[in-house]
Amino acid sequence: MVELLLLSRLQFAITVAFHFLFVPLTLGLAFLVAVMETVYYKNKDETWRRMADFWGRIFKINFAIGLVTGLAMTFQFGTNWGAYAEFMGDVFGPPLAVEALLAFFLEGTFFGAWIFLDRSRQKLKAFSMWMVALGTNISSLWIITANGFMQNPVGYEMAADGSKVIMTDFLALVTNGYVWYMLVHTLLSAYLLTAFLIMGICAYHFLKRNNSEVFRKSFGIAVVIALVTAVMLPVLGHGYAQYVAELQPAKGAAMDAIWETGTSVPMYLIQAPDSSTGSNSVQLLGIPGLASFLYTGSFSGTITGLNQLAQDELPPVGMVFWSFRLMTILGSLFIIEALLGLYLQKSGKLYTSDKYLKLLMWSIPLPYIAITAGWIVTEVGRQPWIVYGLLKTVNGISSVPVSDVLLSVVLISAFYLVLIVFEIYLIKKTVVNATGVE
Amino acid sequence: MFDFLTHDMLAVVWFFLWCVIWGVYFIADSFSLGAGLLTPFIAADKVQRIQIQSSVGPFWGGNEVWLILAAGGTFAAFPLVFSKMFTFLYLPMMLLLIGLIARGISVEYLHKDDNPRIQQFLMWGWFAGSLLVSLVLGVAFANFFKGLEIASGGVYKGTLPGLFGPYALISGVLFVLMSVTSGALWINVKTEGAVAAKAGDLAKKSALLVLIFALVYLAYSFAGVEGFATNYSSMPVLYLLPVLAVGGAVLSVFFAKKGRAFPAFCSNLLAFLFIVEGGLASIYPYMLKSSISPEYGIDIFEAASSHMTLSVMLGGALVFVPIVIIYQLWAYTLFREKITETEQVEY
Repeated sequence: MVELLLLSRLQFAITVAFHFLFVPLTLGLAFLVAVMETVYYKNKDETWRRMADFWGRIFKINFAIGLVTGLAMTFQFGTNWGAYAEFMGDVFGPPLAVEALLAFFLEGTFFGAWIFLDRSRQKLKAFSMWMVALGTNISSLWIITANGFMQNPVGYEMAADGSKVIMTDFLALVTNGYVWYMLVHTLLSAYLLTAFLIMGICAYHFLKRNNSEVFRKSFGIAVVIALVTAVMLPVLGHGYAQYVAELQPAKGAAMDAIWETGTSVPMYLIQAPDSSTGSNSVQLLGIPGLASFLYTGSFSGTITGLNQLAQDELPPVGMVFWSFRLMTILGSLFIIEALLGLYLQKSGKLYTSDKYLKLLMWSIPLPYIAITAGWIVTEVGRQPWIVYGLLKTVNGISSVPVSDVLLSVVLISAFYLVLIVFEIYLIKKTVVNATGVE
Repeated sequence: MFDFLTHDMLAVVWFFLWCVIWGVYFIADSFSLGAGLLTPFIAADKVQRIQIQSSVGPFWGGNEVWLILAAGGTFAAFPLVFSKMFTFLYLPMMLLLIGLIARGISVEYLHKDDNPRIQQFLMWGWFAGSLLVSLVLGVAFANFFKGLEIASGGVYKGTLPGLFGPYALISGVLFVLMSVTSGALWINVKTEGAVAAKAGDLAKKSALLVLIFALVYLAYSFAGVEGFATNYSSMPVLYLLPVLAVGGAVLSVFFAKKGRAFPAFCSNLLAFLFIVEGGLASIYPYMLKSSISPEYGIDIFEAASSHMTLSVMLGGALVFVPIVIIYQLWAYTLFREKITETEQVEY
């Protein structure tokens, strides 16, 4: 049972993490390429056509893997999480089916149309990309609606025998407060990731002293998006933290490793939690009352500590804590980088600031890491629950032979490894070969 | 919403919709799978490969969503079936998944790199993926029609080799052949030049093979599969389904021989559609039929979601399925021209 649980969770983690490597960039690029296609249609300025071509090429490479790995997501709810599927089907199924109906068809159909329409039908081409962008963004709404129920169950009742949840209010499902917090947070981080990828690629060309207008213009757009999203993320995240602390006290307390219940809880700049002792092995530089303020909105607010919560319902504290730290530290770095970028561009020093350009290039993976860390906080922080307060993860798995799951984990991992190597190779080649003037 | 329908009636409506969605998937994806199965054998060079790739490129992605809708719809309308189906058939489902990923990536990346070796590799990836998808689905559906080894209490006794009996293999080959024929005729309709001619010649033979295998498969179904004929006996109008299937296969042979590729293509789709529907009609009211004893099977009434979920989803389906069909058909009209011999890669 333990092995099966572990392998099933590994299967899920690999499948969703790999899929989610491609989703954020798809969300952001679809929108930007749609804008570029539209501007080109309006003003027939070749620079915008070249921008749409170049970023569109990267979009194509990325979208393909996002599309096919999404299949694995749908499949595994049945293959590996059959008990969960039976328990949740009444509530989880509809958003998933609606997602296919409203979003996937738009994406799949118009992606093909956008690729194959030539520039003589520019209006339709631009329209198609808008439909793809609409599809990807609608898709995120529905999958987060489904996930939102797992974080904060609403609009349901338990079946008389306790075997499953039954939907009683579809509207409640869609207006779940959790969903809207998470949707905006997710979309903002996707746009941020896209902006940093664009800035990183532009930086590569500026370093090669290729200041083509395509890259200069792209950078100008990206740096503004980067700054706006980087600033909005922590502002929104602050409200979100309060909300989570109310909804899931254990996740909230684990995010800042608060072990004992107290008022005016300080926030420590340097801290290291130790689950085995139920306390922090290191805590230095406390700012009085700050944790209370962040989680309750008042410097003297009360936070329930981990030691006062049900001990068999705590998530792995270290993992949640460190992921949260990593996410917030990277978030701060993004604000600094974006501000610096805007300043350098305005003062005309950007194209020769080699140190900054190199920093940007090396920053391309950072939003990916931040997003993964945020995902760990959200999903691992909910453990041991798969559906918060209703179903434990251990009770959600399919009873299939361990050997089958092991085989599939190995098979999928090997397959994914090949895919990612290939994807990086193709994107790198596209970037290196581009001059911005063809 | 839909309060005038009882829960059982909603379950029946959803079973009907479920059958429709599967049917649409099979015919919609058949030509892109067929193109993948044929490319290594009929494309003489890169130019012809690009022709084939471009003939299915704009459509395969949107068409494949019907499969996701079939899975998602099962999840939403019949969660118990969704869970059991995927759990019982764990390894076949993984093979199907890998086939789908391999096909998708290969079509999209086929000419993204100039290296001929990578192109060869991806061409065979496209072939292997398409073969896996059509074969596994053919085998899986035969097993659904025949019944899975479900014992009392929903315990699954089947094994992987046990799924590949003679009936399942005939069905698997039939699904592959129907896809090949669909792909060949599509290429013949959509392209110009040597590759179109080759595809047209091939379709003449494969359409005949489809007819032969369809007859063998149907004879086996009615004579050799326990319970297959039960619904047919109590509702003889259902015999129209296999009749239409055979009729489609006959017409497809006829039109293919005459070189009229488009009517042949449509006839072949008809055959494919009604082979699938004929099988699905035989298992009602079960979605997972038990080959051990009917009472162990999982029927639609037991598996159906709540009244609320079924009716919300029905509302969604009635509004959005027609919209999807309209814009997908519109997408076909966007790319009406035949694809000439070209070195220009859209992908």
